[in-house]
Amino acid sequence: MTVEYVDAGEAIDQGDLSGKHGDAPPVVENVTYERILDARSEPQNWLTYYGAYNGQRFSPLDQINTENVKGIGPAWIFQSGTSGMIAGASTYAFEATPIVVDGIMFVSGWDGWVWALDAKTGTEIWRYKHATPFDISLCCGNVNRGVAVAKGKVFSVTPNAHVIALDAVTGKKVWDKTYGDVRAGESATVAPLIVKNMVIVGSSGGEFGVRGHLDSFDLDSGEHLWRCYMVPKPGEPGSETWPADGQAWARGGANCWLTGTFDPETNLLYIGTGNPAPDFDGEVREGDNLFTDSIVAVDADSGQIRWHYQCTPHDVWDYDSISECILFESEGRKLLGHFDKNGYFFVVDRTNGQLVQITPFVDRIDWGNITRDGKVTPARYPDKEGDPVHFYPGPAGAKEWTHAAYSPETELFYVPIQDVGATATRRRREFKESIPYWGAGVQVDIEDMTGYVSAFDANGEEKWRWRNNLPMCASVLATAGGLVFAGTPSGEFNALDARTGELLWQFQCGSGHHSSPTTYSVDGRQYVVVPVGWGGWAEGFLPGMLGAGHGSALIAFALPEGAPSR
Amino acid sequence: MTTSSAQDRADLLHKLGLDQQNKGPIGRVITTGNVEQAKEREDGTMHIRLRINPDEIAWDPAVIVMPHGGDLEIEIFNDDLNTHCALFPSNGDRKFIWLVNHSRGRAKLNLDGPGYYWFSSPTGNDEGRGLTGAIVVLGDVPPEARLDRPEQPRP
Repeated sequence: MTVEYVDAGEAIDQGDLSGKHGDAPPVVENVTYERILDARSEPQNWLTYYGAYNGQRFSPLDQINTENVKGIGPAWIFQSGTSGMIAGASTYAFEATPIVVDGIMFVSGWDGWVWALDAKTGTEIWRYKHATPFDISLCCGNVNRGVAVAKGKVFSVTPNAHVIALDAVTGKKVWDKTYGDVRAGESATVAPLIVKNMVIVGSSGGEFGVRGHLDSFDLDSGEHLWRCYMVPKPGEPGSETWPADGQAWARGGANCWLTGTFDPETNLLYIGTGNPAPDFDGEVREGDNLFTDSIVAVDADSGQIRWHYQCTPHDVWDYDSISECILFESEGRKLLGHFDKNGYFFVVDRTNGQLVQITPFVDRIDWGNITRDGKVTPARYPDKEGDPVHFYPGPAGAKEWTHAAYSPETELFYVPIQDVGATATRRRREFKESIPYWGAGVQVDIEDMTGYVSAFDANGEEKWRWRNNLPMCASVLATAGGLVFAGTPSGEFNALDARTGELLWQFQCGSGHHSSPTTYSVDGRQYVVVPVGWGGWAEGFLPGMLGAGHGSALIAFALPEGAPSR
Repeated sequence: MTTSSAQDRADLLHKLGLDQQNKGPIGRVITTGNVEQAKEREDGTMHIRLRINPDEIAWDPAVIVMPHGGDLEIEIFNDDLNTHCALFPSNGDRKFIWLVNHSRGRAKLNLDGPGYYWFSSPTGNDEGRGLTGAIVVLGDVPPEARLDRPEQPRP
């Protein structure tokens, strides 16, 4: 006798079984380029990656301040965790910058997740999950740094190098473009930047011998508008800094894996570029290797390079210059401040790239030195096959990708610093597409390391230092409340006095910090929100914490409801 | 002991009890089952049948191969005498279906690839016992997404 099958129906979205789903109010509908230009006039919101185009990571909110910060506590916690098998399962980390628009938070996670949350309660409104192949090349970790919002859409990149536009109300996909080749080792981790009617994104994959690029897409249609390669082809400007023979340029790196800043007056995007490839074997790529390890000014409309400043010519230490380019004014000059992985703080004129000053910002630098006028002299580097060479800072840099902040009120830069070294032993290898292309064995120190948050003025003078026993590996946030928020690898979230560096408040979040906190307000109540979830390239920036537990919590802090603000 | 051919591999898996329940390890080592390519319709969508056979606690096929990225329709049969479920990767959200004993259901997935993805039965320890499979997407990224450089050597 034949028994009929039970009809199990059709598979449904897993999110429908989360108990939390719905539509978000249309708060992003009217987020325009003009509003983002003037983002800091809306202190209740965090409209773009750095809070504003200038990259300062400064909020005018002051309800939480030096007097009352000791009274803040968790207002809500959002957790996702992981289920099933994911790419780089041991490397996922929560590295995003939460975006907030009129009470709704948009934030990305690892492995293709994007969420919309109620910023007042932390309740999930919708989720989007991009299916991520298990076998994509990820250096370094299954991570994503955040989303952008404009004109009713939420923009994100995916680990397999797509840029997607989601409906900000429903979380449903509107358009989807592939802008990288996973078979070549490319991936994507960057938070998109909205400029005019464009979505600007860069590529990841600098450890796989790719050719880094920056791309622009029309935010309405997804049409590809321009691509700017950061390694020139033979005959193009800068190609003379690569070997004339062979294909070193084609594998040269210079990925734009971190969000740039933008000045509407110069119409320039300020982009930091990544390391050359292979990272540690310079002999196969003689020359300065432009535009690797550089601050590159790109015309926003044409995608053409207007000027560059190279922080580490012919890098053999993995000193990406991807760190943020903070725009500020001093004595009537339009300047740009950049804390590089190589341990030096660069200030350049952002209209033309002319050097203004260079100062070391970490105690131990012995890879070489850079004089005040910009002359670079290497001292210790892996140049003989099989010969171990120890150098400071290690390949994660004196400051990793995580961001500094600048307060226009104190006129100080606040910098998370890693003082840790590494040993690299050159091991030449043949290039093969999608295979790691480092040219060395590398071991980062697990002892004799330290960290601090330092405050520098624009002349490079250190004004104060808050010391930590571990390197500081998370972005800092400055507020008009006179505070600097900084998370530690061991889980503490700290509030420091922006004028003195005094520790005013601390909360143990249960997992290490490797993300970018932001602040916003809803119904007059200020929140400070921080993604917490240790992981990523821990073997590169802090192998002594490789055994620490992962986390995946988003924690919002606030004063008790009804508490006086001062 | 190493293997030198596909038949050697199958024989050794069986001899060591890696492709059965409670022989070598406790469960069946994942993706030791069959491999099958999805069939493509004229409109470019792909389809395949997927089964859970009695007491195998494994997917059949254990490896589904899509010739390219796109939409895949799966017809699922739970022929086992126990209840399982399925969680599939798909762009937008993962797809879930509950599969009581002797049931039949459907799933529609969108995967862009190239690369491979896991699917499983996320209940109890079905995943560890062997109900974990792979969906492989063949092909390349679109030409406009490829790097402007000469063809490079691959492994």
